[in-house]
Amino acid sequence: MAVTELAAPSVPPTPGTKKGPAASLMVLALRKVGTLLITLFFASLIVFFSRFVLPGDPARFLLRGRSPKPEALVEITKQFGLDRPPIEQYLTWVGGILHGDWGRSLTYRQSVSDVLLNRLPVTLELAVLAAVFITVLGLVAGILASLNKGGWDRFILITVTAAGAIPPFVAAIALTALFAVQLGWFPSFGSGDEGLGRLWHLTLPALALGLTFIAFMARVTRSSMNEQLSREHVEVATSRGLKRSSVVFRHVLRNALGPILTVSGVLIAGLLVSSAIVEQTFGLAGIGQLLVQSIDRLDFAVVQAIVMIVVTAFVLANTIVDLIQPLIDPRIAAGTESR
Amino acid sequence: MSKLLEIEQFTLHYPGRGALLSDVSLHVDDGEAVALVGESGSGKSLTTRAALGLFPEFSRLSGSVKVRGLDTTSAPAAKLLELRRNHASMIFQDPRAGINPVRTVGDFLTETLVRWRGLSREEAYARAVTQLDQVGLRRTKDLMRQYPHQLSGGMLQRVMIAGALLDSPELLLCDEPTTALDVTTQAGIVELLREQQQARGMGMLFITHDLNLAASLCDRVYVLRKGEVVEHGGAREVFMSPRADYTRQLVGATPRIEIDKVPAAPAADGTVPLLAVKSLCKRYELPSGEELTALNDATFSLAPGGSLGVVGESGSGKSTLARMIVALETADEGELAINGRVRAPRPLRAAERKQLAKDVQIVFQDPYLSLDPRIVVGKAVADVFRLHQGKGRAEAVKSAGELLDRVGIGPERFDAKPRALSGGQRQRVAIAKALAARPKLLVLDEATSALDVSVQAQVLELVEELREQLGLTLLFVTHDLAVVSRLCAELLVLQHGRIVEQGSTSKILSAPTNDYTRTLIDSRPRALWEEQLA
Repeated sequence: MAVTELAAPSVPPTPGTKKGPAASLMVLALRKVGTLLITLFFASLIVFFSRFVLPGDPARFLLRGRSPKPEALVEITKQFGLDRPPIEQYLTWVGGILHGDWGRSLTYRQSVSDVLLNRLPVTLELAVLAAVFITVLGLVAGILASLNKGGWDRFILITVTAAGAIPPFVAAIALTALFAVQLGWFPSFGSGDEGLGRLWHLTLPALALGLTFIAFMARVTRSSMNEQLSREHVEVATSRGLKRSSVVFRHVLRNALGPILTVSGVLIAGLLVSSAIVEQTFGLAGIGQLLVQSIDRLDFAVVQAIVMIVVTAFVLANTIVDLIQPLIDPRIAAGTESR
Repeated sequence: MSKLLEIEQFTLHYPGRGALLSDVSLHVDDGEAVALVGESGSGKSLTTRAALGLFPEFSRLSGSVKVRGLDTTSAPAAKLLELRRNHASMIFQDPRAGINPVRTVGDFLTETLVRWRGLSREEAYARAVTQLDQVGLRRTKDLMRQYPHQLSGGMLQRVMIAGALLDSPELLLCDEPTTALDVTTQAGIVELLREQQQARGMGMLFITHDLNLAASLCDRVYVLRKGEVVEHGGAREVFMSPRADYTRQLVGATPRIEIDKVPAAPAADGTVPLLAVKSLCKRYELPSGEELTALNDATFSLAPGGSLGVVGESGSGKSTLARMIVALETADEGELAINGRVRAPRPLRAAERKQLAKDVQIVFQDPYLSLDPRIVVGKAVADVFRLHQGKGRAEAVKSAGELLDRVGIGPERFDAKPRALSGGQRQRVAIAKALAARPKLLVLDEATSALDVSVQAQVLELVEELREQLGLTLLFVTHDLAVVSRLCAELLVLQHGRIVEQGSTSKILSAPTNDYTRTLIDSRPRALWEEQLA
């Protein structure tokens, strides 16, 4: 009770003045953006310098096993700036990124930006489609499980848990075997043309990619809803004669959004990382596949760029989630949120 | 017309827990205020919720619960909606938990109007504002835009009441609507409820564990114990000449201000005071950057063997004071001396803290939170002996056993984890833990507020007994004047962090000089029949 006693006087004595909450919301947003920038800075340090810990000399790899003349090796090393001190290389790299120049790919002999721009759309479309599956199927499964205690709840929980335990590559093979080979509904390979064809081609990969996360989403939705369902304000809403659907949407689901959103932020990074496997299986030319190839070929400029993009997406998604949270729960902005 | 509320031989079974209610029969007529009194776990909330057709999942029901002839135990969902919309409304115990924290007050009030009364947003808004005015709130248009966490508990409970009244119910169910509130706030809410109930001619079923409160509001009383009605009748008869043993016990346990029973202060013999506090201040910075003075310029002293009650409402600084005395908080200004030794104005070091703990111990309000759920109680107490008395393991266990026995916890419970104990037993363990350090000063921070009246009476008795036997000095922080009058020779009244009155308890209670003290005393619920005499 001590907590509430201390919190009680913190009720603004002159409510109605809009300044308080809005100002604290601004401060919160600025702080989040600051944290975002700092995180990205440290991430860039790790991403860049981790190359120096890896075995293998990229310059040597370029020559593909031919035994080079020492002059040629020096020439290549110099051409890619590999002879300069690491700090200087880092500054050049970061400076380049800020200008939209990610360096040159060692294998493709063209700028990393061009290589990525070719590949990025497929991966993004794949991730977005998977996100749609996760949100729709995960939410629906979670809501149904939470509202139908007993048999249905158990059935849904067991199904999603089992489905979630299937690794993406197994899911990919199973889905292909069933829907592409047996039933022939969906293509098994390639990313197709623009528009609907693309969607058709990406359906199976997106399902394979999203399966684990659908289970995750369903479980979070279910437990978050269950927690809200037992809250007194839900009983109050029921006692006031609101229909079950109104109670569920306006009071249960609305209040359960917080944890669901937090999990979604984490999922995004997971999607981009897991896409490597799925892209490989379905022969999609996305950045996941590119990442695997580039690591194999020691094409560090590409690897660094992709890792940076994934990290940025992850941090950005979480920052956006953090910024949306106070809109969902006004207590967070006021800093008085207590359970 | 059929009876407003008629519950007949209502039994509710819950799988695995047996009958939570058995053969409960009660009725409420139009325009009548009826109290349902009982302690926690007696089933009073279940009974009230049954009137709205809110039953725990998987429960088995028999008997009938009829509101205007509609039996909620068997009514179809549509009929129940109709009942909740037009006939009965409920006010819940804790408005902070009961109003959706992520929606505005306006949204809470207008949602029923818009959803199913078919009013437009503007009409609903106007109705809600009028209703808020009617329950005694000010600046109601601003309130509509605010979120629950921006309102105080008392304001929120008025919002909840406004929400219930908006539907013009014939039956108003109140589930301990003032338990979460301060005494003065409680007085306001009770006044409002009585006013509205009489003006609208509603039938009211008022649940409470507080007999005084029941007597101040209701004509008839039902006493519920372990799911059974043990007594019912006119409030005055039940209160003055209870028939059932349990009721008699309940009436006896209900704290009352009895000035002639206030304990005497130890004779002043010029010894060094055990606790001396001079110009003590504590400020907190709020998230918004404002500064809140929790305690302002507090000066008092407490002689060895004395007993001081610290009384005030939420936010008055009484808990801050208690926490500063046990060094959980550091003073911003002023001086605090224990046994003549002035404490350094900084957070204490571990060794200093241990030294202090030998002299001063605290018992907190909620025994459910203050005991480690993983440590069995025998060990919890023995650990204190080992820490402070430097005893060996076997010796500590033996001492712990004796001490626990003394506070009324038998040897069969030494190996129990806190969750296996009742609230009263847990609080006894917490007291034993505090006493194991053999302190001179025992600080009790609302130590009985979370307990049922009969359990509170037992714990108070225990504290009294221990004080006499051990010569303990007591500092009792509470909001309940009756508890203070029983336990403390001296009294200190806090308001907004300032001491507004201090002196001998009997003097302050019989002739308060401060307005706020007077308000506190007058806010205690008075029985209807006493009021009619006055």
